Formats: sequence, C-alpha cells, structure tokens
Amino acid sequence: MPPSVQNRTDYASRLEHLRRRKEAQTQEKLRRQGYMNEDDYGMVLPPEDFTWQPKPNHPNGSFYGLQGWADNFCNLTECHPVYVDPMDALAGRYMVLLNRMRKCNWPPEFDYPELKSDQDRYGIISGIGNDAHFAPDYEIGLELGWGGLLAKVRQYRAQHGPDKAEFYDAEERVILAVQGWIRRTVEAVEAEAACQADPVLEANLREMAEVNRWLIEGPPRTLREACQWIAWFNMASRTYNRDGAGGQLDELLRPYYQRDRSEGRIDDEDAIFLLACLLLNDPHYYQLGGPAADGHDQTSHLSFLILEAAHRLKSTCNLTIRVHDGLDPRLLRKGVEYLLEDRKAWPRFSGDKALVEGFMRNGYSAELARRRIAVGCNWMALPGLEYTMNDTVKINVAKVLMAAFDEMMHDDNDNPSLDSLWQRFEKHLRQAVLCTARGIDVQLDHQHLNEPELVLNLLTHGPIERGLNVTNGGVDLYNMCVDGAALANVADSLAAIQSRIEEQKRITWQELAECLQADYPGVEGERVRLMMRTAPHYGEGDSLGDRWALRVSELFTWLVTEKPTPGGRRMIPGWFSWADTLRLGKQLGATPDGRRAGQPIAHGANPRPGFRADSAATAMVKAIAAIQPGYGNTAPVQLELDPCIAQCDEAVGIVSRLITTHFELGGTLFNINIVDAQQVLAAHKDPSQYPDLVVRVTGFTAYFANLSPDFRQLVVDRLVRGC
Amino acid sequence: MSTGVITHIQRFSVHDGPGIRTTVFLKGCQMHCPWCHNPETYRRDPEIQVFPQRCIGCRACAAACAQGAHEFTAAGHAYHRNRCVVCGQCVDQCYAQALVRVGETRSAESVVAEVLADRPFYQPEGGVTISGGEPLLQAEFTRDILEQCRQEEIHTAIETNLAWPWPVVEPLVPLVDLFLVDVKIMDDAAHRAWTGLSNRQTLENLRRLDALDKMLVIRTPVVVGVNARPEEIDAIADFLATLDNVAQYELLPYHPLGTGKYDALGLDGPRPEFRTPTAAELDALAEQAKRPNFVVKVAGMVSTST
Repeated sequence: MPPSVQNRTDYASRLEHLRRRKEAQTQEKLRRQGYMNEDDYGMVLPPEDFTWQPKPNHPNGSFYGLQGWADNFCNLTECHPVYVDPMDALAGRYMVLLNRMRKCNWPPEFDYPELKSDQDRYGIISGIGNDAHFAPDYEIGLELGWGGLLAKVRQYRAQHGPDKAEFYDAEERVILAVQGWIRRTVEAVEAEAACQADPVLEANLREMAEVNRWLIEGPPRTLREACQWIAWFNMASRTYNRDGAGGQLDELLRPYYQRDRSEGRIDDEDAIFLLACLLLNDPHYYQLGGPAADGHDQTSHLSFLILEAAHRLKSTCNLTIRVHDGLDPRLLRKGVEYLLEDRKAWPRFSGDKALVEGFMRNGYSAELARRRIAVGCNWMALPGLEYTMNDTVKINVAKVLMAAFDEMMHDDNDNPSLDSLWQRFEKHLRQAVLCTARGIDVQLDHQHLNEPELVLNLLTHGPIERGLNVTNGGVDLYNMCVDGAALANVADSLAAIQSRIEEQKRITWQELAECLQADYPGVEGERVRLMMRTAPHYGEGDSLGDRWALRVSELFTWLVTEKPTPGGRRMIPGWFSWADTLRLGKQLGATPDGRRAGQPIAHGANPRPGFRADSAATAMVKAIAAIQPGYGNTAPVQLELDPCIAQCDEAVGIVSRLITTHFELGGTLFNINIVDAQQVLAAHKDPSQYPDLVVRVTGFTAYFANLSPDFRQLVVDRLVRGC
Repeated sequence: MSTGVITHIQRFSVHDGPGIRTTVFLKGCQMHCPWCHNPETYRRDPEIQVFPQRCIGCRACAAACAQGAHEFTAAGHAYHRNRCVVCGQCVDQCYAQALVRVGETRSAESVVAEVLADRPFYQPEGGVTISGGEPLLQAEFTRDILEQCRQEEIHTAIETNLAWPWPVVEPLVPLVDLFLVDVKIMDDAAHRAWTGLSNRQTLENLRRLDALDKMLVIRTPVVVGVNARPEEIDAIADFLATLDNVAQYELLPYHPLGTGKYDALGLDGPRPEFRTPTAAELDALAEQAKRPNFVVKVAGMVSTST
C-alpha cells in the first residue's frame, strides 16, 4: 500500500518528531555512555535493563574467529530489542556495537612483539585488529535480498569441500539471524498497528509490516523496500562491527524510484520522506553525482531529492558530492546552498580529477578509478571489490622527526645541521613505513582468524564465491591505506629550524634541544617557543613552511609507494589524522614549531590554526592542493567559514569557486563547517544549551555537546582561530 | 616602479567587490572619520601598535631599543611613543606580537605578485581591490598596481572617497573596472564637521565617472548619531538616482570592532561613542534608499524590506 494522499501533508511534522526524538536519544547517550569523540552512527541505546553480554571462546575472555563471531552475533540478534516508531517510514534501529564488547581485539597467539618498539617510537597506529573500513556493494544485496544471499551461500557451500564448511556455516547463520531480527520486528510492527488509533499512522504501520515481511526473503521491489533493505543491512553491519561505508546512493535507488514513479506508487514528497528516514536511520557515507565507469555524469533527479531529504531532516549527515568536469552544475550549487543555509557541515565534496588520475598511477584503468567513490571519513573505496584498511593506519610523522632530532643531538660524532636532520628523518621515516607495512601484513595474515567480516563479506564480490574472508584472499584488490599525520607540525618545525637556527642564527641547536627537553620553560622558554612559532610556516603561501610541507609529503609518498609490504600488498599514501589529533599529540614531546609537549598535533593536511593573519581560505586551499600524495587517497581540506560568508549575495558562487578551484589545483576532498565562532564558544561553555549544534569534526559530523571537553577545545581552537 | 606603504593584504576578500578578491589596504587617509574601524590607516607613515595583554615580560624590546622607548617598571611594560623613531628593532624581537609594526613599504611589483597568488580563484568575476586608507593618497603606487593587474587581465576595483581634484582621479579611470565610493553625508557642512573635508569633490567626481559610464557601487557607513536618519539616506539616494551607472547602493552598519586599535595606536584621546544601528533601523533606512535604478544592499545582502 503506498503512502496515502492524506498523510503527505503530515510529513513535515513526522520529520520534526523523528528529529526531536533523535536529539533526545543523543542526549540519552551522553548521559549513559559519556562523551563520544566520533561519528554519531545512528545508534540508539537499548533499554536500561538490557544486559546482554558476549560469550567468550578464548581463555583471555574475548571471542575470536568464525565460530565466536557467528555465535555472538546470532545470540545478540535473537534478543536484540526491536524498535518501531509509527511516525517513521522504516522499522528498526541498532543498539549494540558487538566489536566494542570484546575484552581484547587481537588474539594473543598472533602477537607481534617485534613491531612494538618501532610502533611506539614512531607513533604508529597499526590498524592491526581493526575491522571494516572498506566498502560493500549494496547492489549485490538489493538484487538478491536476504533469501537470495542465503541461497548464494548454500550454492557455493555445495561447490566447495568440507574444509570451507565452517566459513559457510558462519555466513549462513548470520543471514538467518538477520532474518530472525526482521521477523521479530514485523511482529512488533503488527502489534503496534493493531493498537494505533490514528488512521494515517496505522496505515503506515501496516505498510511497514508488509514491506518488512517481504524483505525477510525477497529482494526489494519498491523505493520503500529498497530503503528498508539498506537500513537492515546497515543495522546488521553496524551491530557486527560498526561499519559505516555507504555507496552511490542516487544510483543505487534510482531504478526503484523510477519504477515507483512510472507506476504511480509515489510522488516526490513521498520519496523525500522515505529518503529522510533512511538518512535518519544512519548517517552512512553516501556519494551523489560523479562519473559512472564510462565517464557520464550520474546526477539524476533522485540526487536532488536526496539532498532535499537531508535538508529537511536537518541532522548529522555524511553526503558527498563528487565534483567532475561533467557534473550537473545545479547539483554543486544546490549542495552549497544547503551547506550555507543549514550549517550542518554537509555535503562534503570530492575531487574526481585528482582521485581518478591518482588511482590510475597505481596501474588501474580509468573505468575502475571512476568507480572508487567517497564512502568514508576521509576515504575512497571500490564498493565490493577491494580491501583497504582505510583510515585505520597512521604514522605520526612528527614523532618520526623527533626521533631523528634526538638521535642527531645525541651523536657525538656529528655536528647538528638541517642536512643531517633531514637524512636521519628520511632513514627513520623509511623505518616507520616498513614497520607499518609489516603491521599490515600481520593484519592480513591473521584477521580472518580474529574477526572475519561475516556481514560485509555478503556484499563483496569474491568471499562467498571463494569461501574466503575479504581480508584473506576473498577479493583481488588489496590497496592498503597508510596515512601520515602531523604534516604541519613537521613542516613548520623544519622551517623554524632553517629560519631561526641556520639562517638567522637566533638560537643554537643545543639551546633548542634544551628548550624542547624542558618543554619551553619559563619566560625565556616562552620567548623561544614564540620565536619558533612565528617563523615562516605551512599555509602562508610560497613560504619556507610551504616548501618544507611539499618536501615532506613527497618523501612520505615516495617511501609509502616505492615498494609493497613484505607480503606483497600495495600501500597508498594520504594525509589524515581523524580524531587522533589529541591521542597522537599526547604521545609527543615539545616540537620545534613551538608546540608544547602533549598538545594536539595539527589536523590532517591542514595548516595549523591561525596560519595567516587573514586566515585566507584561498591560501589554505592552495597549500593543501600542493601537498597531495596523488595516488588516489585523500589529503582533505577541513575549512571553517564564519557565517558572515553567507551574508553576501554571491556566497554560493564564492564557495563553489573555492571548491572547484581546489579540485582544479589537485585537491581530493573538501569538508566545510559554517559555524559561528561566538556560538561555538558559548556551546563550549554550556553544551547543554546547544543540543542540536552539529560540527564536522574531521571527516565525520558530530553533535558538539557530545564531544569531550578537550575535544571540544580542539574544535574551538580550530574554529575560532581559523575564522 | 613605485613603492608605497600598505597596512596589509587580505586574500579571500569577499565583501569588497564581486567574487573572490584580494584587497590591498594602503596606509594613510586625508579624512579622519571618528567611526573608522581601521584607524591604523589614518596616518601614512608606519607606526607601532602595542597590545599589552600579549606581553610575556621578556624585556627584549627594551634591550633592542636605542631610543629608550621601552621601559619595564613594577607596573610592567611602558612604551614612550614620543621617543620612538619606528625603526622596528623592538618589533623584530617581540615574538609575542605585543608590538606590531603597522605600515610596510612595498614595491608595486611585490604587491601584484601577491595578488596573482590567488589568480586561479578570481574567474570569472573576482580580482583585486585597492582600498585603504585612501588609495589616491598614494596615486602613483595605486596606478602602478592597477596597470599591472590590468596587464594580467585581472578585474580591478578601487575603494576611494574620491575627495580629490579630477586630474588625480582621471588617470585611473581606464584602469578601474569598478569604483567603490563612500558617500557618507550629503550636507556639506556636516560632512566637513565629521570628516574634516568637503563632499563637493566626491559628488562632482561621481558625476564625471558616471558620464564616462564607469560602474559604481556607492556605500554609506551608517552611524547612529551621524547619518542614520531617513532624511539623510533619502538625500543620498536622491543624488544617486541622478546617476546612470550605480549598480548598488550599500548601507554598511557601523561596528565597534576597531575600538581596540585606537588604544594600540596611542590614539587614546576622547572619542565620540557611536552605536550600531538595529536591524529595524537598517530596514527602515534601506526602504528609504530604494530607487528604480539601483539595488540596495544592507551589509552585503540585497535588502528584502518591504
């Protein structure tokens, strides 16, 4: 039954109810779970008396492997509370992140003690034991449905010998568990419908039950069924291990929308409401527009409806518009209009030219490169075709620099010099990259025995067919992400050393070393700190700092790409720190750029806050475009713009120009916050007064009130000093 | 090639002409409007700004100064502006930026090189804006910058009070795509009283530019107690209605953000206190300003008042 004509006028109030309910759920999370320095994920909390705990299968109290994950996922979904809101078009919410309930995320028998010394020394986040962070191909699931996926698993089980039985058993049990979860939800929806007094909402619930009953087995046929199917996959995948990668949403849903429209089942208002409910269900990373494999633009009427749905929803959202030469200019314009009007830090924008040309530099075709889309915090992926460890592997390059600095200052046979420091930096960075590469091999050699991707495998081309986990030969493409962090700290440190020690001779190497050791003590230490801080730096524009940033990025890129891991896996470089700016900063002593010990490192590829007196966005955009590694992964711009930009008739054109010029200059990803600095300061003081203030923290958006005080401070520093 | 004194160059300037622009602020102005939020542009010569709250007490300024302009007492840092020769030695040592030199002598080439840094962002409508202070106080320097930008095919705008004899203005006419001109007050006596200069030259030059079909954007800083009255704005709009090339008339509400700069520059004598007009006052004035031949904007946005 299609949504009735009568309830169409009710959509605005229903969305308002759903948005307010989500805000209340977000505040409830803050009350019960504390601060969240990460994505809003769309999770709601279970009832307070829900006490499910995973069953360990290892002496250390954790659970591992096919059996352990299948047992616990099935057990959890059997008792997972069902969630029905009569105002919603879609049923269900997820309430538990199973992977966070493990006591230990890596089996002790696969320990890697030989790597730990260098990992600590260089501030390496190895990614070992981390999960998901690659993209599923939703088309597989939309075509087959849960019943079809089950049949596929059984078909391939029959083709393989008994040695793959455990794998197929686990996959089959996961599907059956999801079907059971949907079945229980249908019963709850029917019960709710039976006692619903409002005829519009009762009709909605009856249709919701019908849709979900069909989806237990069948593939979606309508837009509502397709949205509900995607929502179920997302809920299952989130529950399993927090996966949040989306897909090319406009193209995924276009056939269903067009069929519904041509057969008179829905109009655009119905479609917008359905899409808003999908975006509310989970703020997954979806791409809109951009080229298809053959290069033609994928923008459709549905692309605009999805933007409109997010605009009406006014919540956290992670839509990305892929900007390419053939993009319908109206889609870019509409996206920028909503960015400025709603100030919810969406959409983001990705730069097709540099991403495609960069990925092709790895030896791939243009057709394949165009299919590698923006579906993660900072990252691109080929849906269903590659394993990536995106955004999970990082090297704190500032820590590498300080290892080189300390070694030089303690070498009695060497006179300190910038040349010597650079040579040692190169040596240590090579060592850090090697250690990182070996860590990637550890992950790929053992992850299937630790945490098989039983949900994401289902929407990946290969694992089910081959009976192999995605991390272990299930796919053909392994393009392993390696992100550098603290670029600005390293570039500014080298520029300050060159300027203040070598050229101006205002301080000696030894004096600097003593200041760093003691964290710039006293008035004189503060003077030295400010002297280093005010040296030329990255982002100023053709400065010494800009030149060092370029040189550092070129070195990092070369070392990451010059050879594969010892196990033969390709690595792709990028610059990104995610929410680890605090953690990586706490591991790091004082640095020559005037940063004190323990202070956060610079954000991603950004110059430090206050990098120019005029905070010129154009200068930042040019600087970041120049340091792109250029192999298909990103070094994003994170730009904070004051709302005064919107007080200008040409604001849409100006912001669009910033974005397109960044991409013409080689940029890859562009995140923009439109935030009133005074409002952020007030919200930092009393977050409870601003429950709906949304900021893009790094690649993701978050409710400002739910960030921890030190993380809020980080955002405040960036926003207030950056404006 | 000429040199001139600038206060700073602002890239990604979006409120001084169309599109993304680079605005070059020249130092010195022949008017002295007491509501000015850029008092560092009053004087042509370089000056030292003092921001005591940033001082860390390192005393490097005192050690560097041969004039004894900096002293440290029990009360802290004391700066004797009357002894200072603005050599900048103290500023070079003040990494805390408690002492900031405002006013930098630059060649026109070096300014244009910085303008060109953002060339990729200018197309199709953005470009350079020469502002101040009053750019025509450094007419040769201004002309050289504009000439080079014109050769680079960059859109040019100038923000000027036009209170100059026509022979000073005329050489710039073929080099400027857009004139942004302040008309502050129509009554000449009041104009003299508030700014120190007559407005006759400004109005006459506007007529001449209009006759030459130069595009004009007229701006009025709206200051309560000075000109925030319907009859004042009405009079200005009446005059603008006689011109054919006024693309926009902008009302720019006074804001007090520049008040701290007066203290930093030692301009600590008695100053009139001004008030920012309310949104309702601005809407009323915008309504008063409307004429068929130009668009009225308030703080950069087209007025939607009815």
